[in-house]
Amino acid sequence: MSSSPTNKADGVQIHQTRILPDFLQSVNLKYVKLGYHYLVSHLLTLCLVPLMTMFIVQASQLNPNDIHQLWLQLQYNLVSVVIFSTIVVFGSTVYIMTRPRSIYLVDYSCYRPPSHLQAPFHRFMEHSKLTGDFDESSLEFQRKILERSGIGEETYVPEAMHFIPPRPSMAKAREEAEQVMFGALDNLFANTNVKAKDIGILVVNCSLFNPTPSLSAMIVNKYKLRGNVKSFNLGGMGCSAGVIAIDLAKDMLQLHRNTYAVVVSTENITQNWYFGNKKSMLIPNCLFRVGGAAVLLSNKASEKQRAKYKLVHVVRSHCGADDKAFRCVYQEQDDVGKTGVSLSKDLMAIAGGALKTNITTMGPLVLPISEQLLFFSTLVAKKLFNAKKKPYIPDFKLAFDHFCIHAGGRAVIDELEKNLQLLPVHVEASRMTLHRFGNTSSSSIWYELAYTEAKGRIRKRNRVWQIAFGSGFKCNSAVWEALRNVKPSANSPWEDCIHKYPVQIVA
Amino acid sequence: MAEITYICKRTVVSTKPTQPGKCHSFSVLDHLMEKNHIRIVYYCKSWGEKEAGEITVSLRESLSEMLTHFPKVTGRLIRNEKGNWMIKCNDAGVRMVEARAKGSVEDWLKSVDREKELKLVYWEAMIHKPYFWSTFYVQITEFEEGGVAIGLSCFHLLADPICATMFLKAWADKTLGQKMVSPPFFHPLPPRRPINKTSNHKPYTDLINHYKFSIENSTPFLDANDTHTTITLSFSDHMVQACMDMVQPTSAPNKPNPSSPFEALAGLLWICISKVKGLNGLVNMSLCLDQRKILGLDKGFFGNCMVYNKVHSNGLEEHNFSQATKVIGEALEKMDNEGIMDLIEWLEHNDSQSHPLMNNCDLICASLETVEPYSVDFVGGFEPIRVSYYVEPVIGIGQVLIFRAPSYDGPLGRVVMVTLPKDEIVKLCEDELILHLSPRILMGVARNYA
Repeated sequence: MSSSPTNKADGVQIHQTRILPDFLQSVNLKYVKLGYHYLVSHLLTLCLVPLMTMFIVQASQLNPNDIHQLWLQLQYNLVSVVIFSTIVVFGSTVYIMTRPRSIYLVDYSCYRPPSHLQAPFHRFMEHSKLTGDFDESSLEFQRKILERSGIGEETYVPEAMHFIPPRPSMAKAREEAEQVMFGALDNLFANTNVKAKDIGILVVNCSLFNPTPSLSAMIVNKYKLRGNVKSFNLGGMGCSAGVIAIDLAKDMLQLHRNTYAVVVSTENITQNWYFGNKKSMLIPNCLFRVGGAAVLLSNKASEKQRAKYKLVHVVRSHCGADDKAFRCVYQEQDDVGKTGVSLSKDLMAIAGGALKTNITTMGPLVLPISEQLLFFSTLVAKKLFNAKKKPYIPDFKLAFDHFCIHAGGRAVIDELEKNLQLLPVHVEASRMTLHRFGNTSSSSIWYELAYTEAKGRIRKRNRVWQIAFGSGFKCNSAVWEALRNVKPSANSPWEDCIHKYPVQIVA
Repeated sequence: MAEITYICKRTVVSTKPTQPGKCHSFSVLDHLMEKNHIRIVYYCKSWGEKEAGEITVSLRESLSEMLTHFPKVTGRLIRNEKGNWMIKCNDAGVRMVEARAKGSVEDWLKSVDREKELKLVYWEAMIHKPYFWSTFYVQITEFEEGGVAIGLSCFHLLADPICATMFLKAWADKTLGQKMVSPPFFHPLPPRRPINKTSNHKPYTDLINHYKFSIENSTPFLDANDTHTTITLSFSDHMVQACMDMVQPTSAPNKPNPSSPFEALAGLLWICISKVKGLNGLVNMSLCLDQRKILGLDKGFFGNCMVYNKVHSNGLEEHNFSQATKVIGEALEKMDNEGIMDLIEWLEHNDSQSHPLMNNCDLICASLETVEPYSVDFVGGFEPIRVSYYVEPVIGIGQVLIFRAPSYDGPLGRVVMVTLPKDEIVKLCEDELILHLSPRILMGVARNYA
């Protein structure tokens, strides 16, 4: 039944056929849920209140004689008192020492390439056509993918692809890596004033380009880091490697005190353009773009003053044990021998499955008790009474204020918006990053965070959830908590264009 | 001899993207030049001690910045509803070729000829899919021992040599960090001024007849590279003065010289070329001049604004210099606002699909007087060492381009580039009139080593 205006000669008649009670019902449910949520979150406080009143009533009934008695008892049992207090002090010291150190995100910086590297649609199609490697159906396929990709006209492609014919070479790949990494790091160091000799840990992740000496060695060389820096270079780990790098840095910061860790997430496109005609391998050409981010982490207590975020959780889920998931994103040679990364048709389904695995682990860590109880009870009800109800999907909007979903492509963002029941404003950062910068692989979650900051939405104690998917198939999450109302740093990649966003993306 | 190695070809785009969806259509004068293309070469001495490739990088960056003002140049050709060309301003960019050459610019210039010079300016004919074809090409050749050659080639549909020079001037200004002197503007040709519409208005048929004749008699296109060659002659101030004096009839020495340097030189070459071709009378010649001033357009008007007119050689005494020059002057006078307006209106009414090669039938003598090519300064304080212009293809009788010389040749100094069949060029250099004036031969005929 639908409402439709009917034009008759005597005027317009609008049939009111909507069933209102349905709407009312859902509104009532929403308030009930909220009330339940507040009740359970503050349960402890609510229980404490009667206890506190009891204690106060009792204490007021004590007279000075009783207190004097109490004091004499303690004096005679000096030994036990001393032993007791020693145990307490010792116990609390051990407890404090073994607690995990807080990891602070001091600042981060995303690289914005120079404007002459931009690749608007026409130029992309023109250069693709002029290479002569693509046949008509491949060109048409790439054009269709571009149009529906959600990518805008200002994304960046490496210099090697601006030549006719393109000139991918190792030297050009190194050049791209240097430009991106050093660009991001220069900005980061300028904004944070951290000295090179203070950096104790360096983690770099770049999936498709792994020269010798490594990219981390390139950074040590350029910035003259100290001799005993713990450097790591993660290669081949896909678009979710950014969170893996953060996880590694976090673990290293637990072992080494009072130091800084620099994490650089990037990808390299120069030597990884596919010049063949297999459709499943052409999609990365259309989506992947130049970008990179550098993050400064620290476990120094003094950094809490100026740090932006605190790392709360990192949850990593690997679906590689399943063969289908393993072959989902696969780099291989096509029939003619040209190398490319092929994406399988089940990508969305596998991503959905990986997400479910991740949030199952993550749920108990971050969801409020109210949601957990609901989920548990519906699960029990389903098992016991075999109810044909849909499984209860916990409302993650109660746990997090901001979402940074890896901008892998429009389909991924649409899928997650549906699965997690998010509102458009929650996925806006992801969509706009995809539009402005394309799929920058592991660094896209940082561009999205920068977008949210640039929009001035991050308030103190807001929680941010970064979700990254990658080959393997992996789904990794990082949860951050804002330590203050965060303002965007100087030279943010969104500085010059944030006023234009959000833009409406044409279907 | 200096060898050229091509390093790479790339697309250079503007720094600020244009507004999407803008289109630019062409005027009738533009459409007539569809079959031609222009090539310009600038030789500059190198500035400062720069490493190989640095000059290219700085030129490329300034070109990017400057292209923001030329959306027509960075667009691509599409057909409109009528089937004519128009430009879609989609910011696709221009092609740039980077090359290296051995030796120095000065060495190169000592023994350059047409064939070698054309290697310094890259050009690609229209490809099967014009939507992906660049209409402008820039080549930067760095000489290992000093000097730079900047080559610009463009589709004549979009620009004439005047605005191509202004394009280079804008680029040079940007390279030196200065503001553009005459920013370009892209407008359709101005309509007739209403005050001039009188009831008993007789249309000037001269120009119209000439165009009608050219369009109807245009022969099909043949590759001219093997048959023709080009030489460059430099006439300094006193040589041009002497030439102008030759025009003046001896009976009135006190009258001020009525002819301009262009008329004098055009007359001179007309007579010499006619002699060289072995004709009794004078060869058919058309003049081609920039009409921006006459039409009231600003110098920055970007588009074709050069109009052809035939010089009538009937009834002239054989090889009489002053008469020839007088006739040229008369033809120039016919190119006034009224005449051109009539021509434009006629062309708009007779808009035919097939656009011919305009410089096909006659000897074309084009004047580029309204620009100063040697004032285009890429280096900062130094004039270019040499400038060359080519309007291709040249088939049929031949072509003469006359433009201003560098300042050290004086205000009357002119450079003349003559394109003729190979054997005729050799005879031209030995012509007595020319030898009498003894211009410097900047670029001669290729010497064939047996």
